[in-house]
Amino acid sequence: MNVRYASVGRVLTISSYRTPRACIVAKWIRSRGLSTQPPVQQEAVPLRKHLKEEAKKKKAQNKSNGKVKASEEISKWELTVGIEIHAELNTACKLFSSAPASVEDGEGAANSRVALFDAALPGTQPQFQKATLIPALRAAIALQCEVQRKSGWDRKHYFHWDQPNGYQITQYYDPFAKNGTLNLTAEDGVPASDLNGAESLSIGIKQVQMEQDTAKTTSHPPSSYHIDLNRAGHPLIEIITLPHIHSPQTATAVVRKIQAILKSVDACVTGMELGGLRADVNVSIRERGTNGLSSYSGVSGLGQRTEIKNLSSFKAVEDAIIAERNRQISVLEAGGVIEGETRGWTLGATETTRLRGKEGEVDYRYMPDADLPPLSIGQELVDHLRTTLPELPNETVERVQAQYGLSVKDAKTIVSLDDGDRLEFMEETVETLKQMLPGQNHDKLGKMVGNWVLHELGGLVSEESRWDEMTVTPQELADLLRNLQHKQITARAAKQLLATLHDSPASTERPSVEQLIDDGNLRLRPLSEEEYKALAKEIMDENPEMVAAVRDKGQKGKAMYFVGQMVRRGEEGTVEPEKAKQIVEKLLSS
Amino acid sequence: MPEPSQKPSSTQNKKPENKVKKMLELEKELNKEKADRAHQLWVSTETYGKKEADAKKRVEESDDEIARLKREINTRGKTLPKESGFKELKIELFLSERDSEHSVHKLLQGKFIALKANIATKTNVVPTTAASKALANYNSPFHSTVSSLLLQHGASLLPNANMDEFGMGSHTQFSPLLGPLSSPFSRNGKTLSPGGSSGGSALWVANELCWAAIGTDTGGSVRLPGAYCGIVGFKPSYGRISRWGVVQYANSLDTVGILAKEVGRAREVLETLDREDWRDMTCLGTNLRSRIQGASRRRDGRKSLRIGVPLEYNIAELSPSIKATYLRTLAALRASGHTLHPITLPTTRLALSAYYILAPAEASSNLAKYDGIRYGHRTSTSDASPNSDPPLPLYAQTRSEAFGPEVQRRILLGAYTLSSDAMDNYFLQAQRVRRMVQQDFDRIFDTQNPLLDPVAWAQDGEQEKVDVLLTPTAPTLPPTIEELEGQSPVESYMNDVFTVPASLAGLPAISVPVPLSAEERNGMDVKDVQTVGMQLIGQFGDDELVLDAAKTLESINQTA
Repeated sequence: MNVRYASVGRVLTISSYRTPRACIVAKWIRSRGLSTQPPVQQEAVPLRKHLKEEAKKKKAQNKSNGKVKASEEISKWELTVGIEIHAELNTACKLFSSAPASVEDGEGAANSRVALFDAALPGTQPQFQKATLIPALRAAIALQCEVQRKSGWDRKHYFHWDQPNGYQITQYYDPFAKNGTLNLTAEDGVPASDLNGAESLSIGIKQVQMEQDTAKTTSHPPSSYHIDLNRAGHPLIEIITLPHIHSPQTATAVVRKIQAILKSVDACVTGMELGGLRADVNVSIRERGTNGLSSYSGVSGLGQRTEIKNLSSFKAVEDAIIAERNRQISVLEAGGVIEGETRGWTLGATETTRLRGKEGEVDYRYMPDADLPPLSIGQELVDHLRTTLPELPNETVERVQAQYGLSVKDAKTIVSLDDGDRLEFMEETVETLKQMLPGQNHDKLGKMVGNWVLHELGGLVSEESRWDEMTVTPQELADLLRNLQHKQITARAAKQLLATLHDSPASTERPSVEQLIDDGNLRLRPLSEEEYKALAKEIMDENPEMVAAVRDKGQKGKAMYFVGQMVRRGEEGTVEPEKAKQIVEKLLSS
Repeated sequence: MPEPSQKPSSTQNKKPENKVKKMLELEKELNKEKADRAHQLWVSTETYGKKEADAKKRVEESDDEIARLKREINTRGKTLPKESGFKELKIELFLSERDSEHSVHKLLQGKFIALKANIATKTNVVPTTAASKALANYNSPFHSTVSSLLLQHGASLLPNANMDEFGMGSHTQFSPLLGPLSSPFSRNGKTLSPGGSSGGSALWVANELCWAAIGTDTGGSVRLPGAYCGIVGFKPSYGRISRWGVVQYANSLDTVGILAKEVGRAREVLETLDREDWRDMTCLGTNLRSRIQGASRRRDGRKSLRIGVPLEYNIAELSPSIKATYLRTLAALRASGHTLHPITLPTTRLALSAYYILAPAEASSNLAKYDGIRYGHRTSTSDASPNSDPPLPLYAQTRSEAFGPEVQRRILLGAYTLSSDAMDNYFLQAQRVRRMVQQDFDRIFDTQNPLLDPVAWAQDGEQEKVDVLLTPTAPTLPPTIEELEGQSPVESYMNDVFTVPASLAGLPAISVPVPLSAEERNGMDVKDVQTVGMQLIGQFGDDELVLDAAKTLESINQTA
């Protein structure tokens, strides 16, 4: 028989001639901690859209109580959730070999990024790559963990072709970081009932550990599976929360927040929707006010838990928890008993499905890896990383509020949009504008620019086009806003120009904002007092009944009708609404 | 005169040129290292072809030598590489040698070194099999550090020496791929055990087919065949020699060892292999190496050895001829000015049990990679076993075909002792015993264990300190193959009782053949082994002292 390393860059074929065994294999794959399935591709949902949808859904749920569990039934039972999150670390090489880490799927030919150890060739040993520790440490520090001076590497054994050594190297006995905290507020999506009147909610992080990722398997029906070892040995961190979570919404908020933190400290490559993050959730319920008999992660008095593995989107986390809670309630209400088991969830399902029970539990036979000396982390390194840690999302939101005067809601939105590009655009525009307007009061600039970037520019970014295709530059927006500030153009004209800029292709020949204003004859040419009066009179004469309504019936609000008509009828860029209002009020009161 | 005045200027001109050259060379070397680090699994065939002609020429040149070796191979043993492939092997290995051109110091030029079958050698002619069907026809795409270093120092390699499958055995009888091995010695017409698991390596040396041989010692696998074949078997301190490319059995114990006719040769081979290696994180680093060197330098100049005699090694199973030789050796050492000191190692009794928990536990983990997916044996039938209840996924059939009964026994033992119900009672207890064994040794050696914190090292004023320990290597002379067949596994594990403690503590230990006296030989078959293996054990890192002591013992033998 030939050695089956025909060449690098070729997919390893397990078998193309053996009898089908698809169903065993599929079930087996699903039952394991790390997925071998290609992650479900989902569109990234912008936060605002997401929030809107959430609100809509909640409304709908409240209306149709028949479909969901009766709320009194839910309030009788207390839900407890603990989450384990796996995130791919942003590193240049694998955890135990100098083979380059495959950052994204599809990058590089299959099996082209494989060191001897990654293929588990006889006689090969792991070489811990120190550089992979840096992003892991950043994550641990950002999650307020205690970094351990000494930690160790353990082997977790199970047979699967995506695990070439027959074991995964992880940190089971001594993880490198312990006892962290995650603080969440209502803004993060924690429901008021979980906050209990407090401003924020603290979720304990039990530990953070480093470990190896598995190889990727692709199925080629009817009976072939291809293995790509590029991902095998890629560094992951696993973040384990304490069972401190009591609602599906808070669980999603925890995952979302952890993702944001990992991203902001540059620890993690991609978001959950792209497969960079995967979550397992432990779900248990107990009757409110009573203590259960089970315990895990040092928390006792809980009900029997089940574990739902391999959730790869926020929605999946929330829906799976809701479904599992409802299932457990039904079982207990019917006098049944919850089994300690591992369950699975597929998107769109209404129920979790049993994968394996306690008797099918894999004994991982954890043992220390004698090929690897213990990991020692110096305090100096931790201190250095702590002081150079990038701003965390919370801190950014607070800074944006304080520095630019944005509301909490707007600050949060702008920070969360487009990977921080939106915020960067805004900050650059504000800076440029400040330099254009020396000696002026800059207090309100931030808020104004914020509004324009969020709402006007945001309005132009339709659902198909994306922010990174934005052609308008901060310089152009600053030019527009300077003209607006100097009353050179009206707000309406500014908006029009913004749209023109957005629609025209970006190039060096693109006309400047000044030129566009001139070309469009948009520069404000203030009318004289007489011209304003003449225009106002003309409109009043056409609408005697409106005049009467204001004068005789005192319907002052209707005065604005005339202002609107004046702006519309006046030549573009000639009528300033405030001035028009003064004139109209004057004429109507006389 | 124009000439002398020109000369210095021309050399001056040359100097910067040389510098540039050196830098270019350095860069080349660095690039090479980079390429190495990129872990290209396969050497490009193009460069291979170019070098081949050159290598062929060199092989022709050494044809006489090869012809001599071939004749010997044909007459002496069946475990040697097949004649047909031998020339190709030589070509390949010359090529490998040329791959490591930056070697200048050729300590082993032209010397043949046999390699145990679990040491990876990059050739397409001789596979790296570890004597297992699991690796039948497996050609390693890379050289072990041991192979590279030997080639760099000019050695000619003879790979794939017979062994117990994956190193699991004490008599080289569990070799499903290469077949059981017989010692060159016999007793009343019955073949003796050559010892194991490095039996093949020992046989190459005993038959004088090579200058020295490389084995691996996990619980005595170099020392025992050394003793049974009447040659020197040396296990250095754990971590002195890189394990990169050594097929793992129990990786916290596996140690590359050396078999040779003389202590001096073992020392020379150690010199070539005693290097740091970033590929093996358990290989000793710069700091530890210099600490060890410092300690051994301090002892220089003292000629008399303090030899410890562990009372616990005087067991009931010790055969009379071994005991007599042991006592005679001790007396001879004392007569030549060394002092003897009775010492106690209370946990010795527990060491064997601990070893047979730990080694199988690690084996069950290390051998998990042999699944037949990427390389090695895979069953030809559908191995998903869909009809069994519950269905067995993929591996069971492949692995039960690939592994011999002893390997299967140890994998099962190990899987059990690591399982969550048994872990506390077996694996963890055995680890505790291992720590105690190490503490026992630390208490009696004069040199401090360099692995321990100087502060943590408790000075025990009461205890007499010694330089080395002397014990028999095995409790009996080699058994006949027939006797082995009647032994239970546990009985055969007893054989390792004297070698295992040093393995658990990672200490350097060497088995030196000591001739039986005329009375002891009286009535013995002339074809029987005429020597007894005596084992010297030193403190961790004290390899040089152990080799010195072995040399002393060797010279006493010669004068006796």
